[in-house]
Amino acid sequence: MGRIFSYATLTGLGLLILALIALPLMLGALWIKVLTSAAIFALAAAGVALVYAQLGLINLAQIALIGVGGWIALRLNYATDLPVTLLVLIAGTLTGVIGAIFALPALRMRGLYLALVTLMVAALFQIFFNAFQFPNGGEGFWGVAQKSASEVRRPGFAESDVGYYRYTLIFMAIGFGVIGLHKITAPGRAWAMIRQSEANAMATGVNVTLYKLWAFALSGLLAGTAGALLAGALGQLDARSFLAGEGILLFALAVVGGVFSWVGAIVAGLLYKLLPALFNDLGLSADVAMIIFGAALMHAIMTAPQGIAGQILGAFNRGGSDD
Amino acid sequence: MIEIADVTVKFGGVVALDNVTLEIADDVVGLIGPNGAGKTTLVNAFSGFVRQAGGRISVHGTSLSDLAPHERARWGLARSFQKVQIVPDLSVADHLLAMLDSKGLSRAQCKEAVHHALDFVGIQNISSKMGRSLNPYQRRMTEIAKCLVGAPRLILLDEPGGGLSQAEMQHLRRVIRGIHPEYGAQILLVDHDVDLIRDVCASTAVLDFGKLIAFGNTNAVLEDEVVKTAYLGR
Repeated sequence: MGRIFSYATLTGLGLLILALIALPLMLGALWIKVLTSAAIFALAAAGVALVYAQLGLINLAQIALIGVGGWIALRLNYATDLPVTLLVLIAGTLTGVIGAIFALPALRMRGLYLALVTLMVAALFQIFFNAFQFPNGGEGFWGVAQKSASEVRRPGFAESDVGYYRYTLIFMAIGFGVIGLHKITAPGRAWAMIRQSEANAMATGVNVTLYKLWAFALSGLLAGTAGALLAGALGQLDARSFLAGEGILLFALAVVGGVFSWVGAIVAGLLYKLLPALFNDLGLSADVAMIIFGAALMHAIMTAPQGIAGQILGAFNRGGSDD
Repeated sequence: MIEIADVTVKFGGVVALDNVTLEIADDVVGLIGPNGAGKTTLVNAFSGFVRQAGGRISVHGTSLSDLAPHERARWGLARSFQKVQIVPDLSVADHLLAMLDSKGLSRAQCKEAVHHALDFVGIQNISSKMGRSLNPYQRRMTEIAKCLVGAPRLILLDEPGGGLSQAEMQHLRRVIRGIHPEYGAQILLVDHDVDLIRDVCASTAVLDFGKLIAFGNTNAVLEDEVVKTAYLGR
């Protein structure tokens, strides 16, 4: 209670304003595009982190669900004239429902077995995307034509890359806000009880199945929103971007970033999109990023269970007490 | 009124509870028995954590056996655990709020209920302390306070005295004695500490190898030769 405007939240809002105003003045078009992608994947990483931090469950299908959100957004983009923001919300909501449906059979599993099931779900979507591709303005339900893609709409106030970057950042911030609100209200307490033990949660009156599904649905909502934003950012999506293995990488980076705070999700988004772009700019192979990710994961597992975010926040809070 | 009728629980070939039948009207009831007698299994049968091979458990006319475990808690079945369940990164007040989240109370009512329960067990001063920083006594008291919020009808306390000092035990006795007058809930107290049972329980049931071997006035039960043989090994 009373933690809505904590120090970390206010710092976050300050950083958001800085990122909205200052960064576009300082960075070129390429880097703004890279940061837009990083923000989109940070939003999705926050979903993976939520499920892992709150319930200890591993979700490796997040990249696949970004693809699902992207697919729905593109499909609706060509089929309807709905406002883009509404379209993003619909894609997010539907992906949340799909995420919860796929989580349903997995609820009795934990640890490695659940991780494997989510990986299989990711593989299923990989096959789906390869077989049917993403809509590009063609005819029929699948909407795929042998031609270059038709225009993917952006909101009128965010037509430019800078405008769309700001639009994405605001979605990301709202996503983090929604997660933050969940953590300090009834769902957060219910998840905490489940985390302690399911027996304890049931004895507290928590409907364990419902709240587990709720976490997966929220995570799916964030992935779907990210996918819809990605479609608008890139103009077209490619099945090769949504391989099952990428879901493992996003989960690993969420752990490296730190699953307990929005700062960790931002770190994960930056590592996933900005680091390879930086290496590319420096003339280094993008594979170097993979080596660094591996080392960072080892570091996180062995010495920093709260990830890079935990280390950053720890440095700020040093000397503080939680009681 | 708690009615336990022919409750049987089996774990594979082991019969953990064997046709236990009991009617309890007293406000505070003790449940004792040697290790492995089935005490915690009976508590878990109340909570719905074990599958009953037969029988029914009803409290105040409501058949608990027909409710899902979380529905029993919402109905008013509260319990503590032998191994205390405190979440490290949740504050003491949040532990109690979690119990109230499903009750549909206003924010002010929740705050008042939490305040009252913490005050009742005497840990009002640590309401914002995180679970990880609590000492064993504070952890026990938090769990008991959690049982008190949200209008409990039946409270199951599974060895609440474990790991407490003599002075803390004294306080625990006062708290347990005060629960029924203050909150109106019936209490089923499982413990090994015969002195605690003698002090706070009007009647006591004794389990041995899953069977009910005695039930009645606590002093009479504790003097019973069969109970002494089973429980005290004499």
